[in-house]
Amino acid sequence: MHLSAERRLSVAWVVVVTITLIYLVIDGSVDDSDVMRASTVASVAAIGLALIKVRIVMREFMDVRYAPRILRTVTDALVLTMGVFLFGTYLVGRAIA
Amino acid sequence: MTQERGKLRGAKRELWLAWYVTVAFYGLYSVVFFALARAQPPGRPWLDPGQTVAWFADRHWGLLIGFGLIFVLGGFSAVALALITYSIRRMSVSPAYAYSYLILYAIAAIPGFMFICVAMTCGVMRPDLSPVTTQWLYDLGFLSFVGTMGVFLVGSLIWMVAILIDENGVLPRWFGYLSLVNALTEVVIAPSWIFQRGVLAYNGAIGFWVNVPVFGLYTVAFILLLRDFIRRDDLGTGPLPMPPPDVWGHAKRAVEAVGA
Amino acid sequence: MTAVDGLADDAAVGGDDAARRFPGDPDMWIFVVVESLVFTSYFCIYLYARTQHEQAFLAAQSALTMWVGILETILLLTSSWAIARCVQCTRAGSYAAARQFAFVTAGLGAAFFALKIAEWVHLIRDGYSFGSSDFMQHFFFLTGIHAAHLVIGFVALGVLVYELSDPRRRSHKTIETCSTYWHTVDLFWVVIFAMLYVVR
Repeated sequence: MHLSAERRLSVAWVVVVTITLIYLVIDGSVDDSDVMRASTVASVAAIGLALIKVRIVMREFMDVRYAPRILRTVTDALVLTMGVFLFGTYLVGRAIA
Repeated sequence: MTQERGKLRGAKRELWLAWYVTVAFYGLYSVVFFALARAQPPGRPWLDPGQTVAWFADRHWGLLIGFGLIFVLGGFSAVALALITYSIRRMSVSPAYAYSYLILYAIAAIPGFMFICVAMTCGVMRPDLSPVTTQWLYDLGFLSFVGTMGVFLVGSLIWMVAILIDENGVLPRWFGYLSLVNALTEVVIAPSWIFQRGVLAYNGAIGFWVNVPVFGLYTVAFILLLRDFIRRDDLGTGPLPMPPPDVWGHAKRAVEAVGA
Repeated sequence: MTAVDGLADDAAVGGDDAARRFPGDPDMWIFVVVESLVFTSYFCIYLYARTQHEQAFLAAQSALTMWVGILETILLLTSSWAIARCVQCTRAGSYAAARQFAFVTAGLGAAFFALKIAEWVHLIRDGYSFGSSDFMQHFFFLTGIHAAHLVIGFVALGVLVYELSDPRRRSHKTIETCSTYWHTVDLFWVVIFAMLYVVR
């Protein structure tokens, strides 16, 4: 189904807001009532979801989807690089703590 | 026609001289501050008197020789400043931009560059200085170096705005945006002396280890771009005959070369 | 080849790179890439510090309120939607509608800012500030530097509205470039929120 650009944008908005609300679920499931607990799963999920949102915002809101290949390649590489550094730092940090 | 080209080349010789002096200045600055005087990375903030005495003792000859060199050759910084100011004058923007930049940097250079050299040299000059006085000189030196960042920041924002609205193609717009990146890292430095420790202190992970490499990247970029500008400059007042370097063109060719 | 609101549609052009163009000034994307990397270094420093002092960071983090962060994120995501609509309207020639969307964007940005300030005031009144703990130093730094980006975003919106206001101006390139900048304010917040409010 070919969406108009306007509809497509609205769908993208619904998707990123839904992902944002998923954070509430993560938050609720990790903590013991009022006590906050550390959780690798929650943290990794949090970072992963954030990067997914970043890519959606770039592709759909910033029109990278319609951009020349070099920009699509560079922005994807950027998200990948951010992922490698963020996941890497967190996991390595936890391992050596 | 040949006479005109000869005149152009002759006038450009002055620009090239200024450029080589700029390179020499930043080279000297790096070697002195990082290797000789070892004033960078900076000492920890808020040291007690005994610790500052040890810091100075550890760097006795480095400070004297290194900053002695700065006292002799530090005037080179004025040439670097003049070259950048000329680049702004060559733009299609009001001369006010060039003059504001020149004044701001010229004034800020004294507390922000010369002062640390004076204070630190004072700190090691006399062997019988009291520890409390040494501590005072240590604080004065680093505070003047760090605290003047606000003035340099405003100056670089003026350069940035001039680059973004320039229609002569003196410097590429991506460098204007890189200036914004640099300015936003500098914002955290001016008040950093408030922190006695931690990532935002002037020797901290963010305060020093992120901000200085970004500044280094920015400096290397403008040195290379000034070289490219001098090559393209026709010493006139209108748009330059050739456009500035296009990063995306280079990126595209690099990616194609890799076969992505 | 069908043009959707002035853009070369994915399906229509397929792999034809020549028909595509950069959104706004290509050089603004240099800012997006470099500033993203700078922020990533800030996040890595925070994440590393966090993993080395887990309990202390958790204890301080409990002072934050999740739904405030969620609301702030939704405000900025919606502002991104609004400015994207503004750009779509600009391309379609509906400049009046574009202007309205620009004001909606500014309004949502202002709402975010107001909520942020209220959050800061609340925390400071409860005794939390830059110096109270390492977590709080990171919190105030990251949200503070983000707020600085937001303020610059308002300047960009000002330039955008100025362009839209006069038929003699209306440079699509400038409007798209200002929009690209605004989106980075949203982009950085999306990751900052995950770092400060959710990561454990």
